Amino acid sequence: MTGVALTAGSAAAILFGGFFLLLIARVPVAFALGLSCLPILIIEPRLSPLTLFNETFKAYNSFILLAVPFFLLTANLMNVGGITDRLVRLSRTMVGHFPGSLAQINVVLSVFFAGISGSSTADAASQSKIFIDAQVKEGYGLSFSIAITAVSAVLAVIIPPSILMVVWGGVISTSIGALYLAGILPGLLIAGAQMATVHAYAKIYHYPVYPRATLKEFLVAALQSLPALFTPFIIVGGILLGWFTPTESAAVAVLYAAILSIFVYREMDMKKVYQALADTGRLSAVALFCVGTASVFGWLLAYYQVPRVLLENVTSWGLGITGVGFFIAFAFLVVGCFLDAIPAIIIVGTTLQPLAESVHMHPVQFAIIGIVSLAFGLVTPPYGLCLMISCAVAKVPLRFALKDTLIMLVPMMLVLAACIIWPEIPLILPRLISPEYLK
Amino acid sequence: MKFLFDLYHRLLIWLLVGTVAILVVPVTLQILSRFTGLIPSYIWTEELARFMFIWMVMIGAMIGVREGTHFEVDVLPKLGVRADALVRIVSHVFVLVFALVFIWWGIAFTHFGWDQLSEIAELPMWMIFIAWPVAGLTWLLFIGESFVANLRILRKSVAQ
Repeated sequence: MTGVALTAGSAAAILFGGFFLLLIARVPVAFALGLSCLPILIIEPRLSPLTLFNETFKAYNSFILLAVPFFLLTANLMNVGGITDRLVRLSRTMVGHFPGSLAQINVVLSVFFAGISGSSTADAASQSKIFIDAQVKEGYGLSFSIAITAVSAVLAVIIPPSILMVVWGGVISTSIGALYLAGILPGLLIAGAQMATVHAYAKIYHYPVYPRATLKEFLVAALQSLPALFTPFIIVGGILLGWFTPTESAAVAVLYAAILSIFVYREMDMKKVYQALADTGRLSAVALFCVGTASVFGWLLAYYQVPRVLLENVTSWGLGITGVGFFIAFAFLVVGCFLDAIPAIIIVGTTLQPLAESVHMHPVQFAIIGIVSLAFGLVTPPYGLCLMISCAVAKVPLRFALKDTLIMLVPMMLVLAACIIWPEIPLILPRLISPEYLK
Repeated sequence: MKFLFDLYHRLLIWLLVGTVAILVVPVTLQILSRFTGLIPSYIWTEELARFMFIWMVMIGAMIGVREGTHFEVDVLPKLGVRADALVRIVSHVFVLVFALVFIWWGIAFTHFGWDQLSEIAELPMWMIFIAWPVAGLTWLLFIGESFVANLRILRKSVAQ
């Protein structure tokens, strides 16, 4: 490595050391990432702080990331336009008679929501308002109510469409259509694991049960929700048929949600639209600003070839494909505790890609392991956005709901392990529906 | 003084809403032109969408500093009012440094794009690059404002 003033080790020490010190001082993550790059940009003669600008500009100047505000806007329009209300009613007629009714509805609604929106934070924000208070009033524990709302929100990025899959496909060039199909089965399994957890809780703590809905009630609710339930088919189908790109499909979802709200359900007024737009701008900008500084951070790691040095060790362990799978999941789970999922994909996903390739892991399986692990990172402390949002809505500190969240994560982890041990779980649907995407 | 900050804050939210709303338009045009013959297939739509997007991110990042919504990791135990204000001041000093970097090198960055035109729509690039120094300047203002507020908390608790 000629012409490089710092070694990989010292560069990594400055980057990671600076980052963690700044985090402890409660500097916002986006700023901590950018600031920890600064000393290196000044020390290294070939670089200058202008790199910071070039790389952030390049990160934001991306058509793919446009999908982030679109998916958030879809979710916000669903909430103000009455789509969410219909889906709640439908979920009620489907699982209302199970033990722990309201919590079961919470999980099932997340599945529907996940099929329309691709944003877990939007799911956590809207469902916390719907469920936490209501569940506590019916006698559910507050900590349980927060935890189940937060952990079910992570389904939104596992079941298509998904912001994380769009970003993953863009950064690590994997077919987004294949990722969408691959996410369906793991997502449904995780939802099943969560419903089983709720069942167990409901039996232990005697949570209330609603009377079973009649078939007629179910059919009426299903009919009313039918237009909304078409959304995932439009999005995923449109991509698979080559009608539109992933970003365009997100814009189509926005238009479809807007049309449903205005013309079909007729519950939207200008003030609500303004609020939905403002909320979308706020949340997506704050999340995406972090992507820019994370890109600089990741770029510097690559400049000093830090990933190569780190992975040299791991390669020498001689792990098999399953071992590597567990290693990848572990790495993403740890990183997910401290970083948001999108920056984590940019920094860690690209780092681990050669390792996955070295054992001939299928890129789609690699992506699903990474995305599911990072989705779990949305509820793990200290930096778990969904849990933070749910706790903020309930006005309690993060640690309050920690125990129940960790208990609920155990069955979810088993599903993740299953996806590592049996690659067929993520791969079977894309193989059946569109084998050409797996090439 | 607070009135002026509030006014600027509201203007930024307004612009943010505008960018999000406009963002949908060029992408929709792009799809429409592909499937219908109604409008010609403009190639500037993609570039325009990207540039609106950059402004949306930067404006949102400016607002986030005043609203305190940039995500933080909370590893410190719960602190008292005074210690909390002290920690805020320390973290704000770091954000301040970043703001100054954005202003100082951001001006150089904008200068560098002064004569450049964008590849497709031939828009002047400084109109995009200037978002960086503007963000730095805005952070400087907002951080300065809450700096004063936190200092007041500190001084009050000392007096007590």
